[in-house]
Amino acid sequence: MKKNIIGALLISATIVSCTKDKTEQNVDPGAFSVSINGKIATVNNLPADTIIGFAPSGQPVGAGVYSFFSLETNKWIPNSDSATSKWDLAFSGTIIRVNNTTGGPGNGGAFVYVGTFDGLTSVPQDSVFRIDNHPTSYAITKGSGKGWYNYDGATNLLTPIPGRVLVIRTASGKYAKVEILNYYRGGVTPLASASDEIKISEQRYYTFRYTYQSNGTTAF
Amino acid sequence: MYRTAALFVFLLTALDSFSQADTTFNADRTLDEIVVTATRTERKLGNVAVPVRIINNKTIQQAGSVRLKDILQEQAGLYITNSFGAGVQMQGLNPDYTLIMIDGEPLVGRTGGVLDLNRISVGNIRKVEIVKGPSSSLYGSEALAGVINIITDKTYREKLNAGVRYGFGNPDNGWALPVGNNTFKNTDINLQGSTRFNKLGIQFFSNANYLDGISFRPFSKDKVAQPIWRLTNQVQFSYPFTVNTKLTLAVRHTYDHIKQEFAVSNNGTITNSYGREANRDLNINPVLIHQFSNKVRSSLRLYATSYNGSQKLKFKEIPDSSYTDEFRQQFYRAENQADFDWDKMTVTVGGGYTADQVRSTRYDDFSSKKTNTVLYGFVQHEWRPGTKTTIITGFRYDDNKLFAAAFSPKLAVRYKASNKILLNASVGRGFKAPDFRQLYLNFTNNAAGGYSVFGTIDAVKIITELQRIGQVAEVSDDFYRLKELKPEFSTGINVGGTFLYSEALSFNLNLFRNDIDQLIDVRQVATKSNGAQIYSYINVNKAFTEGGEVEVNWKPIKQVSVSAGYQLLKTADKEELQHVKEGKEYTRDGNGSSRIMNKSEYIGLPGRSKHMANLKITYESGKKFFATTRIMYRSKWAVSDRDGNGLYNTNDEFASGFPLVNISAGKTFKNHISLQAGMDNVFNYQDTDNLPTFQGRMIYAAFKVDLLNSK
Repeated sequence: MKKNIIGALLISATIVSCTKDKTEQNVDPGAFSVSINGKIATVNNLPADTIIGFAPSGQPVGAGVYSFFSLETNKWIPNSDSATSKWDLAFSGTIIRVNNTTGGPGNGGAFVYVGTFDGLTSVPQDSVFRIDNHPTSYAITKGSGKGWYNYDGATNLLTPIPGRVLVIRTASGKYAKVEILNYYRGGVTPLASASDEIKISEQRYYTFRYTYQSNGTTAF
Repeated sequence: MYRTAALFVFLLTALDSFSQADTTFNADRTLDEIVVTATRTERKLGNVAVPVRIINNKTIQQAGSVRLKDILQEQAGLYITNSFGAGVQMQGLNPDYTLIMIDGEPLVGRTGGVLDLNRISVGNIRKVEIVKGPSSSLYGSEALAGVINIITDKTYREKLNAGVRYGFGNPDNGWALPVGNNTFKNTDINLQGSTRFNKLGIQFFSNANYLDGISFRPFSKDKVAQPIWRLTNQVQFSYPFTVNTKLTLAVRHTYDHIKQEFAVSNNGTITNSYGREANRDLNINPVLIHQFSNKVRSSLRLYATSYNGSQKLKFKEIPDSSYTDEFRQQFYRAENQADFDWDKMTVTVGGGYTADQVRSTRYDDFSSKKTNTVLYGFVQHEWRPGTKTTIITGFRYDDNKLFAAAFSPKLAVRYKASNKILLNASVGRGFKAPDFRQLYLNFTNNAAGGYSVFGTIDAVKIITELQRIGQVAEVSDDFYRLKELKPEFSTGINVGGTFLYSEALSFNLNLFRNDIDQLIDVRQVATKSNGAQIYSYINVNKAFTEGGEVEVNWKPIKQVSVSAGYQLLKTADKEELQHVKEGKEYTRDGNGSSRIMNKSEYIGLPGRSKHMANLKITYESGKKFFATTRIMYRSKWAVSDRDGNGLYNTNDEFASGFPLVNISAGKTFKNHISLQAGMDNVFNYQDTDNLPTFQGRMIYAAFKVDLLNSK
């Protein structure tokens, strides 16, 4: 296997600090950042309804909010624009939604492709884009081992499955490929031996990378 | 100080002049040791065609062992697991697959498939026989990886002896004296005696062991090992009616009392629990042996055993609350075995009936007894066509009430190529019937997020009912695969031999491969509306373990013996391995990007070390003095799937490999008083995350006195 030396490249990054939305209690604008390196943009630490307490059943819960994101503008979209076509993906816990019917007025869609991010050079010809039917089913399948993540009940850790690419049709009908890299703050999964407190407080922070094709073709 | 301790034994060896006397050690003599477990008949170790290891009483005593775990963890190729008590991993297979017997009768009362080796005191053990490789052709279910048979002392001469061992340690400061908060103390007391009244032989053994709990986390009073009392009492009777007919009766009882006081932090809410766990084990075993002629011998064995485990807890924060967990198992067996001896062959024929009953609060209804009965028969033919070759063929048929019947054949060949070279090869089939928990468990852990585990008998019914009342969010694909559980099967091949280089130097080699079919796996079959998981059991996996084991025994001079062992182990889930080979599995680079996983990165089953080694050096001066150093090494093992691909590879989280060093020395005075001192875990190795029950350095002193001994 060839060694990947991407880490050595200096990134000419465009840091887009997002404006804190009044209704979003758990956004930490300092932690959330987007860096762009050629065709690939990387989003670090996007909070997605982080844990604020516990349900009576003992389940850790967030405030029930979404983080809206535009792959086209590489920006966080405020909650006030949730009913528009300005956003492409909305994150809340392990749910990732597309902008279509039950989510928004857009033409969004998605499916989970098995393979590497680099290996996916264009949207395959026979692709079928799925749409959300919230809250019953989602284009990006929810559940451990079914879509983009595995949840280990023994360690209580959630890990994105390597070799899974989310192929996205944006709200405006363009294409993008997204790879979720991590689900914890700072892009580092806690150790299996870490305390439950850490595993709970550090979760629901997305790190992902994507390539957006602005010209409307299916090639990445 | 470390160095002083480590060199201690070596220095002692130097104290003695190198005497040129004849070597008392003789590899041939080792091969003359008698083994019963390999063939169910008494055979010399050198005549047995399967890999067998014997740990004798002297080794156990010199190691200062008090529980079976202590001595097994010093053997190459055996690894002690620490979930649900101390279990033993043999040839890379889980503790579930090793049958553990006392005097040929199985112990029951497994938790999570594990029989806790701490339940067994080694005070009156004459030897432990370990047979590796499938032995279901003789012993039926559970003997899939191998068999550990504990043989107790069966002498009835006039004797009475008492012994006490006191040990202490301090994980925070390994050299601290037994005072202060973080110290743990372990006291072990033995009393053993036997006598004869005319023909009747009587022997008794009592052991009490108290561990006052171990606390590891600095500045914390939370004990990882709670204070435990363990009591063992055993009485054995032997009555020879005539020269040819003998009746023996063994009754063994153990009682463990574990004080429980712990805090559980569940999502930020701390609950303080206190109470106790108590486990009782009773074994009754009458055996009637009759020698019809010098060619025909019969043994009738009856066995009744019960294991009762109970846990009672109260919660400080919730008044009038309590939690009770009960597990009761009864196992009865009647068996007859007949051995027919001829010049060139021995035929062993046996059969029996077992009834196994379990009640548990973790099943649907505590008052309902779950029962399985097995009717079985076995035949073994040992053929000695010449002086050089022994060929053993045999099979056993187990007709289960609850499961499909199991047929377990075995073929073993031993060939004496020369006076120096012995070769062995065997192939056999092993099986393990699903246990009651896999069938009947009905358990919801409200203390840990509310996940549930349902046994296969009722899983579909319960989940369908939960679905009807709207408590199931979704069922997984595995839900539709739930059906009647089948036994797990394995085919094991062992090939090896012994090479006697000289009287003082011998080599042992064994290569093994176990192919396991229909491995039972815990799978998530549904998700509750509140997000909690529902698990059940499915026969899915195919796996293999393979490797090799080498052992060298060397006696450079009369007083010194050196033995070294090494095991190389490779394991894989066959389906996973196939996917890896086809390039269908992925992992991540350091920067998080996915890439296809290499075959060389795949490491197989978690919790297994690729390399295990041990080295033992013993110095003995007659029967008066000994000193020994044992070094055990285990290489790193996978603990969690860090890259999220659902299998174990080099990118995952590993526990570090480590050496464990134990030393001890002892001296006998006036032939009846022995003093011994030792240190376990000399370098105070600890890994609280991955080896939570692994105690730090322990220093101990032991005293034993023969009050009566008619030799």
